[in-house]
Amino acid sequence: MIPKQKVVAMVLAGGQGSRLGVLTKKLAKPAVPFGGKYRIIDFPLSNCVNSGIEAVGILTQYQPLVLNEYIGNGQPWDLDGMHSGANCLSPYEALGGADWYSGTANAIYQNISYIDRYNPDYVLILSGDHIYKMDYNEMLEFHKKNNAACTIAAIDVPKEEASRFGILNTNKDGSIYEFDEKPEHPKSTNASMGIYIFNWKELRKYLIDDANDPESSNDFGKNVLPAMLEAGERMFAYPFEGYWKDVGTIDSLWEANMDLLDPNVSLDLNNVYSRNPMMPPHYIADGVTTQNSLIADGCNVNGDLEFSILFAGVTVGKGATINSSIIMPGAVIEEGAKVEFAIVAENAVIGKNAKVGASPSEVKNRDDWGVTVIGDNIKIGDNVTVPPKAMIDKDMEG
Amino acid sequence: MKSNDVLGLIFSNSCESTLTELTAHRTTASVPIGGKYRMIDFVLSNLANSNVNNVGIVAKSGFMSLMDHIGSGSAWDLSKKRSGITILPPYAGVSFSNKVETLYQLRGYFEDANEDYVLISESNIINNVDFTELFYLHSVNKADITLVYKNMMVPEKYTPMTISHDNIGKVEKVLIQPNVKGKCNLYLGTLLMKTELFLELINKAISENELDFNRLIQKWVDEYTVFAYECPGTCAVISSMNEYYRFNMELMNGELRKELFKADRPILTKVRDDAPCKYGLTSSVKNSLVSQGCFIDGEVENCVISKGVHISKGAKVSNCIIMQDTEIGEGCNLNYLIIDKDVKIAPNKSMAGADSYPIHIEKKSVIK
Repeated sequence: MIPKQKVVAMVLAGGQGSRLGVLTKKLAKPAVPFGGKYRIIDFPLSNCVNSGIEAVGILTQYQPLVLNEYIGNGQPWDLDGMHSGANCLSPYEALGGADWYSGTANAIYQNISYIDRYNPDYVLILSGDHIYKMDYNEMLEFHKKNNAACTIAAIDVPKEEASRFGILNTNKDGSIYEFDEKPEHPKSTNASMGIYIFNWKELRKYLIDDANDPESSNDFGKNVLPAMLEAGERMFAYPFEGYWKDVGTIDSLWEANMDLLDPNVSLDLNNVYSRNPMMPPHYIADGVTTQNSLIADGCNVNGDLEFSILFAGVTVGKGATINSSIIMPGAVIEEGAKVEFAIVAENAVIGKNAKVGASPSEVKNRDDWGVTVIGDNIKIGDNVTVPPKAMIDKDMEG
Repeated sequence: MKSNDVLGLIFSNSCESTLTELTAHRTTASVPIGGKYRMIDFVLSNLANSNVNNVGIVAKSGFMSLMDHIGSGSAWDLSKKRSGITILPPYAGVSFSNKVETLYQLRGYFEDANEDYVLISESNIINNVDFTELFYLHSVNKADITLVYKNMMVPEKYTPMTISHDNIGKVEKVLIQPNVKGKCNLYLGTLLMKTELFLELINKAISENELDFNRLIQKWVDEYTVFAYECPGTCAVISSMNEYYRFNMELMNGELRKELFKADRPILTKVRDDAPCKYGLTSSVKNSLVSQGCFIDGEVENCVISKGVHISKGAKVSNCIIMQDTEIGEGCNLNYLIIDKDVKIAPNKSMAGADSYPIHIEKKSVIK
């Protein structure tokens, strides 16, 4: 028999993340590299372990190969226990047929038996695409203290951005009376972070009801949470203070990376676990600058960096300059190339004297400017210019 | 012969007496080197990358840091159900005073092993070798024993043993501590033979009271078919503080790094979850190797810096080897030092050794 777990975490990691374009062509959004040596999913997984949660189901669907391989047996996060740990849960065939995960709630519904094995009191639902550090125990204490059926973590967002989020309208005691999905005129700035704690018994019942409703789109935000509110369940917003970012778009992914270089941002990388590159320390040549940058093992830096992040095994040629950019594992920036405000994906090659991206000051019309993205294994030829905001998924000849 | 038919045995205390300060609190095998590695990582990775799945490490003394480093052996993929790494400390009142006696005391370990061959090696040989070539040549040559050597200069403070062989590689003569000038065929303390023969020879040595291992090898050359194998590629033997310092500084050479750290035969080590190294606004770094987890805000030149090192604003650090988690205060001026682990240096201190005599600062020192 499997020992009881008080809390089981379920990480929603099946989304394509279509807004990340070429970066998620061959991998799911949670597997996108982040912060010089991590993948996005390292953050929720590390939070789980640091909160003492030992059973973590990872719901995969879109392009799961890289993610499955990365999670492996869960050992890098200490999630390789004898009776618990990390498990990748893909859709499967059963008697009566096979179904894709039709929505976030359906993904959990199809894995009810996985959760039941641990006989948990609570289930924690997480997104695999948010960058933040959080002690889920504090949220659980809040949940228990309020005798809630469901607690949703909420973060205060600037008023002008509130209409991009699901807004939680609450009473004075923190109980939720209304969900407002991307409201035009938000009543509050309490945005849902997509982190939910449920009492498992109750959630189980609502998931089955939801699955039996042919009209439902099987989504937590659209269906399950409103149904619970309507039924009069106690639902609370847990106020979270600290760094949190949804990295679902190129701009937000770029910004979250740049936040790591900003001394005024509270996000640190202590106790964030990951698989580690097996490479020697990085080498910085004579006569180059590396100010305000993050550099991982295995890099060979012969050019100048400023406000940039180099993942493991990046090569920067002589006279190359990299400014405000993110260079993912194994990419090569050849001699004299200039990379500015760009994301260069894994193993891409930027040819000699090529120019990738531009700083906002170089562009007349602000709408023409954006972060340039070079897809993985793409080769940009010598002397080629790649304009700002471009997203490159084919080789460009010099 | 197959690689998984070879048992690896590594001596952890190689050249311990001449590595002086570095081995004061630890065995040679666990001396930090090259920024993020320990000495033993090289031979251990060579064995693992050559599919040798069963490895014993002879631990004589000061092996706590070694045990901590090795852990389950999973970092080298040597934590298997049917094999893996075994640390072999002295037991039941037996001390490992001498190589021949040590091997005799460990005979039970060899007898229990399923492997037909044994590869004995030292922990202070720094190279990246595919041993499968050695295994292949050993069987092609129908050798009883194969000795591994490298044509190189004799390292400082090292007791050399030199090999001369004929044109097919058969060893003709082995000399102990000859007077050599320039390069010689230096025996690297690495040899391969059948486990059965090995046990027989060690038993015989004990009964004849022949306790000098090098002298034994010399005798075997006369009595058995002994071949020599030159280990390809670059090779360093870390035998003294100067050799240690020089090798670390040589790592600034990109060609050497390419030869040592290959993508298809990586040097594996226990890795800590450090963030990438962060360079501050006032940092300036020249010709240096830097590991993850560091924060560099000062000036660094010709240094090898291990993980978690903090170099404050205005500090000037040149020609130093800095081991993990050391903190260097603002405005310090440091030159030609080997700074051990967890050292704290208060602001505005100046300290210097010389190129020919780098000064070692002891582990956990606090310099106020």
